[in-house]
Amino acid sequence: MTASNLVATEPGPAAARGMSPPVLSGGWPLLGHLQELRKHPIDLFWRVRNECGEIGEMNFAGNRVVLLCGVDAQEAFFRATDEQLDQAAAYPFMTPVFGRGVVFDASPEQRRQAMKNQSLKDKMMRGHAEVIAGETRRMMDRLGEQGEIDVLDFFAELTVYTSSACLIGREFREELTAEYFRVFYELEKGTDALAYVNPDLPLPVFRKRDRARRHLVELLTGVFERRQARGEGAKKELFDILLTIRDEQGRPRYTIDQITGMFISMMFAGHHTTSGTAAWTLIEMLRNPGTMKSVGNELDALFADGSDVSYQALREIPMLESAIKEALRLHPPLIILMRKVMHDFHFKGFTVPAGKLVAVSPAISNRMPEYFRDPERYDPSRYDAGREEDRQSFAWIPFGAGRHRCVGAAFAMMQLKAIFSELLRGYEFELAQPADSYRNDHSKMVVQLAQPCRLRYRRRVAPVVDRAMEK
Amino acid sequence: MRIKVDFDFCQGHGVCCEEAPEVFALNDDGELEVLQEQPDEALRPKVEKAAKFCPTRAITLAN
Repeated sequence: MTASNLVATEPGPAAARGMSPPVLSGGWPLLGHLQELRKHPIDLFWRVRNECGEIGEMNFAGNRVVLLCGVDAQEAFFRATDEQLDQAAAYPFMTPVFGRGVVFDASPEQRRQAMKNQSLKDKMMRGHAEVIAGETRRMMDRLGEQGEIDVLDFFAELTVYTSSACLIGREFREELTAEYFRVFYELEKGTDALAYVNPDLPLPVFRKRDRARRHLVELLTGVFERRQARGEGAKKELFDILLTIRDEQGRPRYTIDQITGMFISMMFAGHHTTSGTAAWTLIEMLRNPGTMKSVGNELDALFADGSDVSYQALREIPMLESAIKEALRLHPPLIILMRKVMHDFHFKGFTVPAGKLVAVSPAISNRMPEYFRDPERYDPSRYDAGREEDRQSFAWIPFGAGRHRCVGAAFAMMQLKAIFSELLRGYEFELAQPADSYRNDHSKMVVQLAQPCRLRYRRRVAPVVDRAMEK
Repeated sequence: MRIKVDFDFCQGHGVCCEEAPEVFALNDDGELEVLQEQPDEALRPKVEKAAKFCPTRAITLAN
């Protein structure tokens, strides 16, 4: 049975109202489970699953969020239309980051149009792979012979450059310095779930967020002004085009503030997600030396003929791909996906009335023992031919599923393959802290590695084969 | 061999069009069109690749 025949998507008398979902125990007055969400979100979601089963209600400061667990419930969630389950109103903590009137105020139809983002088309990927390989080499040029990196800082900086070069424009990227990634990071840290109470509470975390956003607007204003002063506006990168669009009265259609918002929104989805996945892939491979060894051998063999990273990153690199997928399964960058219920949502005799939120948790789903053998174990072989545990489209959901499945998933996989193809052939890494000290910081809705998260590196010695041949 | 596309899932990435241009195409609106629902057996390897590399897993093959 598919979940689609369990769900009545049309409102009306035919869809009789079912039972209310069970409510999770332990809520505080007024705040409900908000503090638990801010401290131990994944434990909170497990508690719903263990206590309530497939469907259970949490309370975030008066916002009722019904968590759906298991493939039937998750399929119903992922198959629902935008008209029934709306993404827009579900993420109040994002509005002040993007700016009012940006992205989430668009209608479902406008968003469908925006999904056809030309820069993510398959035809564009070869060019992107070249850019990403080049950006990785630029970061590697700064590493020298040996030393230590903070793995969050390293990948957060690299992915600010790659995302801006691929999604916004290469010239724009050349204007960016390390300052941008620090400001961007501040912005990401501003996604505290206290936004469910009010995203504008006078708290340090929100003041910092707003300061970071203003700072970003200033930085971008500087970029635009320098370009215009140099007469480079005619080169027609995305921001030149946005700046020259006029409304009916001939006035500029978009302000710098709005364009900044669009750029933030374009980069946001691909930034902390890719950065975190790169970091976790590297950490997990170092915790599992067998995987690191087979990935290293795979890359050496693949590039032995001197072929180009931009070419190989588009092709299959099975061991590396499985290593990445397994990092994504255990450490999904988004731990909860939410929608606002626009028309009553029915599931197996339960009804979630319009106005409440429904949610699915990739962090829970990806570790459900019914679908993943030995789910707590980092085991890339679960993606081998014949096993392919990621084929369970509604269970393996680091990228979500259905009509809102991450539009950048293919781009992200290509990007990670390009990054590691360069990095692992150039350097060897080792953990600089106890293996179990690397963990995520869940205090904000945008999950980031907790710092410190340091690794040691050393430049790899060139292959020794040729020496013997010369004699 | 019969091709099924779950249009709930398709986002128009166009990977299938690169793998099997005889069978899949994007129209001017960026929407996917299946040119042949029951293509010749000779196209099977290409169609299988299209299904395998579809970023949204929207393509399935019967028989």
